[in-house]
Amino acid sequence: MSDLQWMTAVQAARAIAARKLSPVELMNALLERIGRLDPKLNVFIRLDRDAAIDAARAAEAEIASGHQRGPLHGVPVGIKDIIDVAGLPTTCHSKVLIDNVASADAVCVSRLRGAGAIVLGKLSTHEFAIGGPSFDLPWAPARNPWNTDHHPGGSSSGSGSGLAAGLFPMALGSDTGGSVRNPASACGIVGLKPTYGLVSRRGVFPLSFTLDHVGPMTRTVADSALMLDVIAGHDPLDPGSLAAPGGHYATGLEHGVRGLRIGFIRHFHEEDMPADAEVTAALEHVAGTLHTLGAEIRNIRLPTLGEFAAVNRVILQSEAWAIHCQWLRERPGDYGQLARRRLMAGAFLSAGDYVQAGRRRREMIAAVEGALRDVDILLCASAMDPPSRIDNPEEVERTYPRQARTPFNVTGHPALAMMSGLSSGSLPLSVQFVGRYFAEATLFQAAREWERAAGTDNKHPPVL
Amino acid sequence: MDRAIIELLARRAGLDKALAEFPEDVVAAAEQASGSVAKMKAPTDPRAEPWPPMRVGTRL
Repeated sequence: MSDLQWMTAVQAARAIAARKLSPVELMNALLERIGRLDPKLNVFIRLDRDAAIDAARAAEAEIASGHQRGPLHGVPVGIKDIIDVAGLPTTCHSKVLIDNVASADAVCVSRLRGAGAIVLGKLSTHEFAIGGPSFDLPWAPARNPWNTDHHPGGSSSGSGSGLAAGLFPMALGSDTGGSVRNPASACGIVGLKPTYGLVSRRGVFPLSFTLDHVGPMTRTVADSALMLDVIAGHDPLDPGSLAAPGGHYATGLEHGVRGLRIGFIRHFHEEDMPADAEVTAALEHVAGTLHTLGAEIRNIRLPTLGEFAAVNRVILQSEAWAIHCQWLRERPGDYGQLARRRLMAGAFLSAGDYVQAGRRRREMIAAVEGALRDVDILLCASAMDPPSRIDNPEEVERTYPRQARTPFNVTGHPALAMMSGLSSGSLPLSVQFVGRYFAEATLFQAAREWERAAGTDNKHPPVL
Repeated sequence: MDRAIIELLARRAGLDKALAEFPEDVVAAAEQASGSVAKMKAPTDPRAEPWPPMRVGTRL
């Protein structure tokens, strides 16, 4: 088979199950590509080559003997390096945890393995999912395969970069202020932050307990739905986990958007943080296309992005300080500068600030819930700019907060970011869909219709 | 925020080592925190409760 690097998880799983594709052949093709491209992209912190080949051989033997482990049998997956994989380091891309080896799989990894997926290794992140891109850490930051002079987004940067570069068809990321959706936006792939509590966080190093989500990152909407089917589910040992209705997230994928009511939050990118002209034009094109395909588009107003971002930061900085304070007191020099500055901020917040943020959070949840009573999903910007250059700290600092992702960490609603088009400089632009709690299937339905209409699943970096 | 106040709060938080080795980072952290608080609106209803709420039960 040719073009194995661009095979989706759904295609690979079907071909492997039908014995038209050997998982060993797929693994070897991807490992060859990783060997060739990763020195330019810095996607992997730890490639578990031998274990991956052994697992592919075992999968091949099991399938040959008629044993199908699950819907992802033989399909490779990359894991963000804040998520535990038994026997491998979980460094969080930091000197602080450079010798930390996980004793057990995180629940999300265990679920993927149970479905037959093969772990390729651990992927670059911003330090502790907050400090990056940084050049003062033990590992270099990941780069964007659309143009390696540019940032791939973060903090799940290796996940986004590796998917866009065709190094693996699936990856796990985490999202506290947009860290799945940012690299999805910058790299032109599909990133889902599920409803808070839908995917277990057990075995994932925390950044902020009440804002942290684990989510699937893929190149297609169908793969995102398949991955969510596997990793979603109640975990009684995760205090935030919920026993939710759902599953079968792919059932409505091809139902289209006829009759769907979509609330377009234009003020995010027109008033609150005026977006780059190409970003705005692409968002209008998405809305116009979905309208042509039968959706009803309405204008929706929510609290401003500035308010959402402030609440997100106060909660995140307070909770992250509680997690990191001992290390910051004893070994501040083991952090990179960006993480050190961002994580110490919580030392200067009061208990009252944290409680006020929680009280405002409740009002924001009510505002989004109110909007979603009148429409089925929301459509808005994800990033306000094309991905910035990675070697220009001022440009990174200017563009990084110009985004509309934090509102849905504050409220816990599911949100999916994907490509809306390409800029004149051939860099990905993005759109975000937001749904009701546990209504990920409706998000996938709308996202798939846009993907089908625009062909975003067939757009890959040209130089690779 | 005044530098003396930043130093006082940093020492209270146990950040003496960071103050000695990375004083500019401590100041930057304090400025981030005050910037976030300044942009946050307080709830208008004094009875507004925070989210997530206290919930008793058997899930621990």
